[in-house]
Amino acid sequence: MIGAIIGKELTEIRRDGRALGLLGIVGLLLVLGLTTGLATENAREREVLQAQADDSAVFLEQGEKNPHSAAHFSRMAHKPVAPLASFDPGVSSFMGQVIWLEAHSRNPAMFRAAEDAPELSRLENFSIAGVLTLILPLLVVLMGYGSIAGERERGTLRQLVGSGASPIHLLLGKFIVIAGVAFAVLAAAVAISTSFSLLSLSESGFSGGDLVLRGLSLLFVYGLYIVCLTAVTLLVSMLVAEARTALLLLLGIWVVTVVGLPRLSASIAEQVYPSPDSATFWEDTRASLQANRPPSESEDYVAVEREVVERALGRELRVDELDDLEINRGALRLEVSEVIDQEAYNAAYAELFANYEKQKNLRRMLSVLSPTIALQHLSRAYSGTDIGAHEHFSLEAERQRNDIVRAMNEDMMLNGAGESFGYLSPPEFWETVPEFDYRPPSVATAWSESARDLTILLFWGLAAMAAMFWFGADRTRV
Amino acid sequence: MSELLRARDLTKSFRSNTALNGLNLSVNEKEIVCLLGANGAGKTTTINLFLGFLEPTSGAAIVDGTEVTADLKRARSKLGYVPEQVSLYPALTGLENLDYFVRLGGGHRDESHLRGLLDQVGLDQGAADQKVGAYSKGMRQKIGLAIALAKGARALLLDEPLSGLDPSAANEFCRLLRQLADNGAAVLMATHDLFRARELADRIGIMKSGTLVEELSPESLDQAALEQVYLNHMHDDETVDETTEEA
Repeated sequence: MIGAIIGKELTEIRRDGRALGLLGIVGLLLVLGLTTGLATENAREREVLQAQADDSAVFLEQGEKNPHSAAHFSRMAHKPVAPLASFDPGVSSFMGQVIWLEAHSRNPAMFRAAEDAPELSRLENFSIAGVLTLILPLLVVLMGYGSIAGERERGTLRQLVGSGASPIHLLLGKFIVIAGVAFAVLAAAVAISTSFSLLSLSESGFSGGDLVLRGLSLLFVYGLYIVCLTAVTLLVSMLVAEARTALLLLLGIWVVTVVGLPRLSASIAEQVYPSPDSATFWEDTRASLQANRPPSESEDYVAVEREVVERALGRELRVDELDDLEINRGALRLEVSEVIDQEAYNAAYAELFANYEKQKNLRRMLSVLSPTIALQHLSRAYSGTDIGAHEHFSLEAERQRNDIVRAMNEDMMLNGAGESFGYLSPPEFWETVPEFDYRPPSVATAWSESARDLTILLFWGLAAMAAMFWFGADRTRV
Repeated sequence: MSELLRARDLTKSFRSNTALNGLNLSVNEKEIVCLLGANGAGKTTTINLFLGFLEPTSGAAIVDGTEVTADLKRARSKLGYVPEQVSLYPALTGLENLDYFVRLGGGHRDESHLRGLLDQVGLDQGAADQKVGAYSKGMRQKIGLAIALAKGARALLLDEPLSGLDPSAANEFCRLLRQLADNGAAVLMATHDLFRARELADRIGIMKSGTLVEELSPESLDQAALEQVYLNHMHDDETVDETTEEA
């Protein structure tokens, strides 16, 4: 019986020019999303690779130079473009692409594409994820609003049920067709996007297997979204008397849950947990740095000095050895201040990212009203373009900053005794400073960090299906 | 002759309005019973109760020994239903519509059998392969009847099936009904059409305000009696609007 329903529904879609036209429009939008996404992310990736190469060349070819001077100039940590950023750019345009690894200062990421974009290039944000999130629900609504209400209006529902057809089978058949068509569109979009991303994997730090798993994860969560949408659409179509009423109601639900609430939730989250502006953040961080620095004669300070020297020498110092060592004391002070300030910087950035997490949690709570919010979190997480991915990059970049500043300070400390800041590192020294080899977190991290969003989306899917079948079971008005 | 349709003290109330009041009626195999009455007399309510679209307030609707409320699926499996407007899917051909309705009713017939049925109800083969969007009402009613035939329904419920048909189509439809009844079906038809009822029915039930007020044989209805029935019973009732009161 379900096979007959599926066959009939597909025949109607095939013969109905409007349905094919609608699918064509959605297809065009997806192609537009794919091409703009690929163009934007490829251009960004080229810029990153070029900047990385330039930065490396300048650093390695700087010749003889005081290492602290070089530490101020230092290196740039370039965040690789996530291969699925062309699918969902997420927050990458807003969080910055490059971190300047400078002595004394943990800098925020620079080069936020959103800041550089002129009004007209806002189309760059037009992505496949955007089309799927916004337009896929419309496709489902337009395909499904008349599924039951239309049959009721035409009188076919009465005849079908009167002939012995089961309303549940009717619902299930229509559900399979609508969700199936939407899923076919989704699968094509994800498959094409993932395939293009696989071609540009070499520089991103993601593995092919990881990328395929990310693609499958996206397919799963967007598939769940389709389940929610289809079940809600059929539920409304079943409960209202006329197809026109169902359409109006569903468009209203679309405006509220797909367009309105996700944006409103971001505004509410920002209102409740405001992100600090740059001036305030730095003012607070500077105050915290000052408060955290012990006097240079204090026991704490001396303990750090000892720790720094022991680490540089690779051995423990004798009790009174520190004062007698022939080392560059200026470099020692520099490294001690790096170690001490690190704690304050870590705390400041941890607070910043904790605030982002609070905002996300608040939006997560609001996703009980709109599955689109949970889907956005999942889509960004699986695409590697969420705040979690940026925080990972920020932490790794800070680790790199600590490593290279330490390498330069230790070179000056151990080799520049008595030369103060007149010490110059030899040209070959720069090649010993470790390169930033960033490995983005795997999809398993994204799975674990977004488990709550997945639970909410699963709940939505199950609740919508349960409601549809509960109302459909002998409660379908004919 | 076995009793295929039976209403036993069948009553349906919508809040304070009684749409059907203690109906007792039976339709045997090979028999056509027409229910006559004005709008709101309870004809459609009776059919809806047999189809299980409504639940009786009291009493029972019984199809071939199965009480509808006790086993709706089994009861429906024995029923064929032809409404006033047979609704079909305009993007499908007559044959595809027939096939779809039969499959959803739980049956399966091969194409040659379905074509034979369409032929039996008088739909030519060219029309069977046309989309029903272009069908006349008479052609749609024939498809409706073919659906009931394909299902092998023992009892047919028809709700104003002749309404809007031209005389020739109505004659043909009535001929088909007679043929079905002669082959063993029990037919219960709600209609406004006194003259058709007299020609077609084995028995005529007159309904008014939800009550079966008279049962007549067609032979007893001469011209004068017809006029009397019309004057007494065929004015619109003001009791219950069944179409809006259905649950």
